[in-house]
Amino acid sequence: MRCPHCNSEFEPKLSSALPFCSQRCRQIDLGRWLGETYSVPAFRLDDEEGEDFNPEA
Amino acid sequence: MNDELPNESVPDSSSKSSEANAEYGSEDLQHLSDLEHVRERPAMYIGDTTSRGLHHLVYEVVDNSIDEAMAGFAKMISVSINNDGSVTVEDDGRGIPVDRHDQLSEEHDREISTLEGVMTVLKFGGKFEKGAYQTSGGLHGVGVTVVNFLSEWAICEVSREGHVYQQEYERGVPLGPVLNIGKTKKIGTKTTFKPDAQIFQTTKFVYDTLYKRLQELAFLNKGVRIKFTDERSGASEEFCYERGILEFVEHLNRASEAVHSQVMYVNGEQDGVGFEIALQYAKEFTENLHSYVNNINTTEGGTHVSGFRSGLTRSLNNYGRLHNMFKDIIPTGDDFREGLTVVISMRIPEPQFEGQTKTKLGNSNVEGIVNSAVGEWLGKFLEENPKVGKAVLRKGIDAAEAREAARKARQMVRERKGALSGGGLPGKLRDCSSKEVEKCELYLVEGDSAGGSAEGGRLREFQAILPLRGKIINAYKSREDKVLANEEVRSMIFAIGTGIGEEQDISKRRYGKIIIMTDADVDGSHIRTLLLCFFYRQMYELIAKGHIYVAQPPLYRVQSRGKSHYVHAEEVMRTQLLERGLDGALFDVGDGRMLEGDVMNSLCRILASMEDAFVALERRGVNLKMHTERLEPETGKLPVYHVVHGREEKWFVARKELDAYLKENQEDDPENAAAQNGAEPGESASNDDAGGENANPENNGDNDNSDNDNSEPENQIHITEMHEVRSINVGLLELRKFGFGVEALLPKDRTGMEGSRYNLRRGETEVGLDDLRGLLPAVREAGQRGLKVTRFKGLGEMNAEELRETTLDPEKRTLVQISMEDVGAADEMFRVLMGDKVEPRREFIEKHALEVKNLDV
Repeated sequence: MRCPHCNSEFEPKLSSALPFCSQRCRQIDLGRWLGETYSVPAFRLDDEEGEDFNPEA
Repeated sequence: MNDELPNESVPDSSSKSSEANAEYGSEDLQHLSDLEHVRERPAMYIGDTTSRGLHHLVYEVVDNSIDEAMAGFAKMISVSINNDGSVTVEDDGRGIPVDRHDQLSEEHDREISTLEGVMTVLKFGGKFEKGAYQTSGGLHGVGVTVVNFLSEWAICEVSREGHVYQQEYERGVPLGPVLNIGKTKKIGTKTTFKPDAQIFQTTKFVYDTLYKRLQELAFLNKGVRIKFTDERSGASEEFCYERGILEFVEHLNRASEAVHSQVMYVNGEQDGVGFEIALQYAKEFTENLHSYVNNINTTEGGTHVSGFRSGLTRSLNNYGRLHNMFKDIIPTGDDFREGLTVVISMRIPEPQFEGQTKTKLGNSNVEGIVNSAVGEWLGKFLEENPKVGKAVLRKGIDAAEAREAARKARQMVRERKGALSGGGLPGKLRDCSSKEVEKCELYLVEGDSAGGSAEGGRLREFQAILPLRGKIINAYKSREDKVLANEEVRSMIFAIGTGIGEEQDISKRRYGKIIIMTDADVDGSHIRTLLLCFFYRQMYELIAKGHIYVAQPPLYRVQSRGKSHYVHAEEVMRTQLLERGLDGALFDVGDGRMLEGDVMNSLCRILASMEDAFVALERRGVNLKMHTERLEPETGKLPVYHVVHGREEKWFVARKELDAYLKENQEDDPENAAAQNGAEPGESASNDDAGGENANPENNGDNDNSDNDNSEPENQIHITEMHEVRSINVGLLELRKFGFGVEALLPKDRTGMEGSRYNLRRGETEVGLDDLRGLLPAVREAGQRGLKVTRFKGLGEMNAEELRETTLDPEKRTLVQISMEDVGAADEMFRVLMGDKVEPRREFIEKHALEVKNLDV
């Protein structure tokens, strides 16, 4: 299994903080959620999607 | 200090000894007083009389041999615990001189050898050869004399100048003069002593204790060979480390995973202060620091350690700032201590020791020397080894981030009591009335207006609603991003009730199902990905136990004669309209043929299979008309592979041809193989980078801002595999059976005078078509006649009633239970979505904007 934070390969059975390899990595990740670090692109629908197939639009 | 000594035995034993050697000891008042003093207050000399002090005796003797070795005279030191509990230390150094010591002999008015002085006169070492060793070891510089004084008996045997000399002692008192006991070719000193049970609380030597220290000495004194034997058990070991403390660090990290493979090492000397430092970062959270001054373990640290720390912190911080590695948090010195394994070994002529156990270095000039030496060396090292530099910095940044994360988590728990409403539940939560956890559901709803509809449409008893709003932030100059606001994350955590982090307990969850409900558009899918990622990472068990679901709100409402039904997927909508439109449809091909029924159905199915492929191709910037001109006449196929070789472009239909071309050109120019960087054509299909690089093959060359753009474009081969063309090729083959060539798909050049090329007839209506691609939309449009199709742009467009009917009501809704596989994929996607690399991210988003259905988990 690959740790989402540090990217290291680890044995899932040995971790108490799945899907992370360690409490430490999970902790850092939590800090990022609380710190509003994680973002996704704000995608504006520019009326360009799927319209070809929807004669109504 | 241990002043509780076996006092009653001391005068007795010493008087006994002096009686036994009347002519040797009685007149030597100084000696007697020294001996008495040491035996009365051994703790002043060796720390204490426990096992620790006992082992210290061995170290004192070994230190002499180490000095001899470091001065270049001894190669080998052997230490053995004998069967009777005594210890023998032997070296092949010069041997303690055995000739008459003039000063001593005059002072005491009898013949006294240097050897006897070493063994029986306190601090004699300094007298007999001041400055012989620049930096001598020994905890208090008391040396072998004290060992002799605290031993029941001792024998010292010196081999030098062809002879073996020997002197024996009992409780510090010589039993006679130094004797010449035979001939030898060897040189060296061999000391055997048996610690005095009247002094020590225990006289049993521990193998492991001596092992550890002897090994440490071997690390600290590179090249010195130390042989260690325990006659009692037969165990034996030999230590010799040519790379010294560098190997010490490797040894300390032997069970840890290193952050960088190579141990960093520096040594030098300034103002007579010698330093040697080896360090390596490991994937651990604690610091492993060992510092020594003249082989003495300075467990309390001191000026050398503080100098090292400030030098380290300063260089790492400088490096991080220089390379823009710090975002919000700047690591502190403590952060850089995490995972650090370091050995500091100093050679200082006159060390001052302070502290409780006299193991703290006090020399103030040392701090500056070490600080600047470390700073200078490390700064240079990091610049020359950027890979190591980055890895070490990341480690420190991680530590800082973890510290900050812990602070935020604590703050969250603290604030819960204050800011949130009764019961610690978030104010925005519209909770359900039931307390039957397994029946209860929490809907996480994107947007406040949808939250309002959901609140109105929910089954109040079992369904709770928590509206979540993506917070818009400006991530980069030209980009808007959405985050889950801190407050939203906290609301979710508290509403769900399991807690977070190490204290998380999913048995405390307040709901049996947690249902993510977002708009059926790209934005919604991004937020869904964000939420899934949060659950995967921070509430892993909830997903593992199957508590997380995704709601499937409809995409279309279809109304017909006052009745409504809902359609959840674009594909289904298209199929429904097509089927309806095909009913009674006639296709006038214009050559006298009229297609209908099954034939017409088949034709439309073929066209439908090609529809997405056309869009995908045009998304790449490949014009269909231009591409059809590249048709291979023999096979009737369009090229699948696009190759840009320097300024040239090539198109290939078959993989074989591509391979042949590549082989030829790589042989021509062997560098090309490297330039391709392993972008095998077969792989490029799955390789976003390779595919994205030439996302726009018609306009290549304009594409200057791509990361991989090389200063020598002539030598680069870029391959794009346009897999959608495969679908088009399959379709073209099928179309031929209906008598349509590729040209049927393209509008004809027309004069404008003639009638429509093709006609679609259905009932009364007739629609003219310029090409075959227009057939499907026309059929669908016909199919839509009499229907009112509404596409929901978001959940908010549905009223409470509609939302209940389609998405909330357990009888009618569709829920997708999230499995680990789904969410693992979501996490992957999330990493790309929020990654720092702008290019892959943009390509990813564009690709998925086209294939929205792929975002549906």
